[in-house]
Formats: sequence, C-alpha cells, structure tokens
Amino acid sequence: MNAIEIAGLCKQFSGKRMTKVDALKGLTLTITAGEVFGFLGPNGAGKSTTIKLVMGLLRPTSGTAMIMGVDVSQAKSRQKVGFLPENPAFYDYLSAEEYIAFVGSQFGMESVLLAQRSEEVLKCLDLWEARKRSMRGYSKGMVQRVGLAQALVHDPDVYILDEPMSGLDPIGRALVKDIILDLKKRGKCVFFSTHITDDVEKVCDRVGVINKGELLVVENVETILQRGVGGYSVLVMNPDGKKEEQFVDNADLQAFIQQSSSNHQSIEQIVPRRKDMESFFLEIVAQ
Amino acid sequence: MVSIIRITLKGIFRDRVFQGIMVTACAFLLIPVVASLSMRQVSELSLTLSLSLISFILLLLAVFLGGTSLWKDIERRYTFSVLGLPISRQSYLIGRFGGTALFVLLAAAVLGIAASAVVFYTSTFYPPERPILWSTMTLCILFDALKYILLIAVAFLLSTVSTSFFLPVFGTIATFLAGGVTQQVYEYVNSQSADKLSPLVRQVATGLYYLLPNFGSFDLKVNAIYGLPLPYNGLLLTVTYFVVYTGILLSVAAAIFARREMR
Repeated sequence: MNAIEIAGLCKQFSGKRMTKVDALKGLTLTITAGEVFGFLGPNGAGKSTTIKLVMGLLRPTSGTAMIMGVDVSQAKSRQKVGFLPENPAFYDYLSAEEYIAFVGSQFGMESVLLAQRSEEVLKCLDLWEARKRSMRGYSKGMVQRVGLAQALVHDPDVYILDEPMSGLDPIGRALVKDIILDLKKRGKCVFFSTHITDDVEKVCDRVGVINKGELLVVENVETILQRGVGGYSVLVMNPDGKKEEQFVDNADLQAFIQQSSSNHQSIEQIVPRRKDMESFFLEIVAQ
Repeated sequence: MVSIIRITLKGIFRDRVFQGIMVTACAFLLIPVVASLSMRQVSELSLTLSLSLISFILLLLAVFLGGTSLWKDIERRYTFSVLGLPISRQSYLIGRFGGTALFVLLAAAVLGIAASAVVFYTSTFYPPERPILWSTMTLCILFDALKYILLIAVAFLLSTVSTSFFLPVFGTIATFLAGGVTQQVYEYVNSQSADKLSPLVRQVATGLYYLLPNFGSFDLKVNAIYGLPLPYNGLLLTVTYFVVYTGILLSVAAAIFARREMR
C-alpha cells in the first residue's frame, strides 16, 4: 500500500481585489511505505500548502489526497501519522509531558505504553529535564523538539514533517537527521519539506522539487548524485614526499593513474567530485 | 473529546484572565457590610447582591473565555498541531465548548456556596421577612449558569466566522444585552400601545425575537429573593429551549468550523 497518494491536487486562494492565486497546480505524487521523501522548494513554492492539504487543514479546490488508503477529509486518515507543523505552537500552559500525554491519548495509547514512550522520546530529544515546566518558557528550539516528540510518541507508520530542522541548532539538526535515518531503517515513511538541500542529500531516498505551485521533478537522490559526478579529486605523493591535490576529468582518470605510476608518484586518495543537491535544485528552479 | 475537555479546563484554571475574574469574587466579603447599610431588608439585599455578583462573574467568564477560546487557538496556531491529530473538527469544537461550559458550571457551584455562606450569615443577624428558600436560590444560580452556557455557544458560533476577537467578544456582549430584552420588546410591539408602530418595525422585532436567544426566561432572581413559588412547567420549557437552542448553535458552529481553512 502507498503511504501517501496525491492526485491532481489544486489549491486556489482568494487574493486582493477578487483575484485568485494558484498556490498548488495539479500536484500528483505517490510516496511508498518505507520511503523517505524530501519535498524541496524555495519559500512560497507550495510546500506547506501541500502538507496542510494532506493533513486536512486546508480544503483542496480540486483533486484528492489519501494517507494509507484513507481520504484526508476523514479524521481517521491521521490515525497512523505523526505530524509536525511548520513553526509549531502548542498549548503553552501545558508542560511537554502533559502535551505528549494528551497526544498519546488521542491515538488511543495504553497509559503504561504511553508513559514508557513519553520517557523515551523526551529523553531522545533532550527534553527530559524540562518536561514538567510549562512550555510558555521554552525556547524556539525546545518547542520544535516538543513537536518532534509528539510526532514520534505513538510510533506511527507515516511521518509528515514541515521544515523539521527549522529553529534547531547544529546539534539539534544532526539529531533530527539521525532520527529520520533511524525511521528509515525501521521501514517508516517520512515525507518532509525543506528548503535546505543538504538535509535532502543526507537522508532522502527520493526528492521532489516544487516551485510556484508546480511539481517540477521527482528523482532518486542517488541517481542525482551519481549523474552529477564531474571528475575526481586525486591526492598524489611525489617521490620527494610532497603531497599534491589534482583535479582529473572522468575520462582521464585511467590515464592519470598510469601516468602517476610511471612518474613514481603514489596515489593517496581519489574522491569523486560531483554536483551536489544544491546545484541540482538551483538548475531545476532556474529552468 | 474528553481529553479536549480536560485540557480546556486545565487551560482555564491556569489562565490569567480567569484568575483576575476570580479575584472579583472577593467582593462577596463586602456584601454583608453593604447590605447592612440599607437598615431594612438586609437579608433580601444580601441575597440580591450575591446573585447579581454571581451573574456578573459568570457573564465575564462567558464573554472572555467563550469569546477567546477558539479564537486564541487559531490565532496562536494551536489548531495546526491539534487538528493534525485524529480528531474531527466537530469533536474539537464540542470539546472546547464542553470544557468551557463545565467550567462555568463549576464556577457557579463554587460561587453559589460562597453566596450561601454570605446569605446565611446576614440572615442569622437580620432575620428576613420571608423565609429563604435555598432550593430556589440553587435553581436560580443553575439557570443563570445555563443562560451563560447558551451565551458561550453564541460566542463559539461567532468565533467560527471571525478572524479577530472583536466579533466574538463584542458580538457576545451585544447578544447578551439584546437577549435580555427581547421578551419585553416582543410583548410591547404586540400590545395595543404599539399600534402606531409601522408593520416593518413589528416584523423586524418579531424576527429578532425568534432569532436571538431569550434570556428573560432564565431569570429566577425575583423568585429566589422573595421566596416566591417556582413555575415548574415554565422551567421545563426553559430547559428544553436551552437544549434545542444550544444544539442548533453548536451544530451551525461545527458545520462552519469544519469548512474553515487553517491558513
């Protein structure tokens, strides 16, 4: 079964002076179970609109979306979903522990299991010490981590995360990447939006690029990275012991190795130099 | 829905607005002193003041908690996270309403106990001319609470169509003021003394009479203060009216909220 199926999804907002703004134009996308999908696009591209439509927060102008085979207009479509909204906000008069308990109860978790999972996720996200404090006093990064904790607590099959790394420090960002990689290992589906290409490169199986409400391309991350190999950076050691780094084209690598050998140079390291995800993204968006 | 009611109650207890309003309840301590200044009918006056103070506090709670509960959730973006859970919007709205309504009932009970203590104290020192009917006083407070729960339903309905707190708060206050006089206006426009009124004015007044809630029938203060017998058939009709009217308001509010875009 596909985790998320989106077919011809359109969203039109009313603008000023009776104008209509197309926020999303006929998006069709399928995300399979166990897949980590990065939804990449510049600000205002339609990423959050797509996620809000999938989560039933907005009503589509046309088209359909389903999660685990259930239409998103029904509340039960969210039964197996962990959702992190963009710049999340939670009842700030509650503590993180109380909010996690509230979320767990909404998913019908048994109290013993809920207490155990709550402890696990709060510790994992470094919120254990602050768990009893009202969220009113939390920093932006802490609120973001509560958002991740509440998405993880019921161990769902599908994760929909809107800018999960937003507001986090480098340690927090690394932690989130590790969490996503762990979810991937455990066969969970993760659909997350971002405008940071490095995040996609590190954790995603596939990437979709959206701009101005249109899905421009969907591609395997590995394919993009392979296709982008434009040569090699070779570190050679000269007979006098001096190290030197040289750039070698794809086609010239074999000849370069033979040449080095005949010159009594030893090859210390060969690193493929490729266009990264950022170049791919900029190329697509510029088209 | 029960957990939504629970967190709504928690939110109200921890809200500064609620704490501020409850400080107003300290005015109960002044009632015996103020009532004794009247020199006669001290018990009746203390009962009047107690019931009026309860009514005033419940009004503040209904307007500020009812009018801002849903609006605050949308404004502060709490709805994005809560509606991302497997909760239908209807359940969410009814849960928020249920929590606020339950709180008003709890507040009415606590304030009722405080009022009873005040009235008992003054009636001990200044025996009333007519006996104090505690059951009538209790019913009076209960019906007052029902009136304000109905007002909260109005506030919730206005919140579902509004993007600011102006409409829910001021619309609720306007509805409260209008709902308190609709019965008198209706009786006036249909009396002989209103013969000179144009048919249009009469039709508008009649239309408003049916559209706006009729709060007059919830008022049992006179019965409680002077120990008058209660019109039980009328009370049954009022309860039915409360259930039907609140049900209609919440159904319309839920239908509108289900279609609302969370942008």
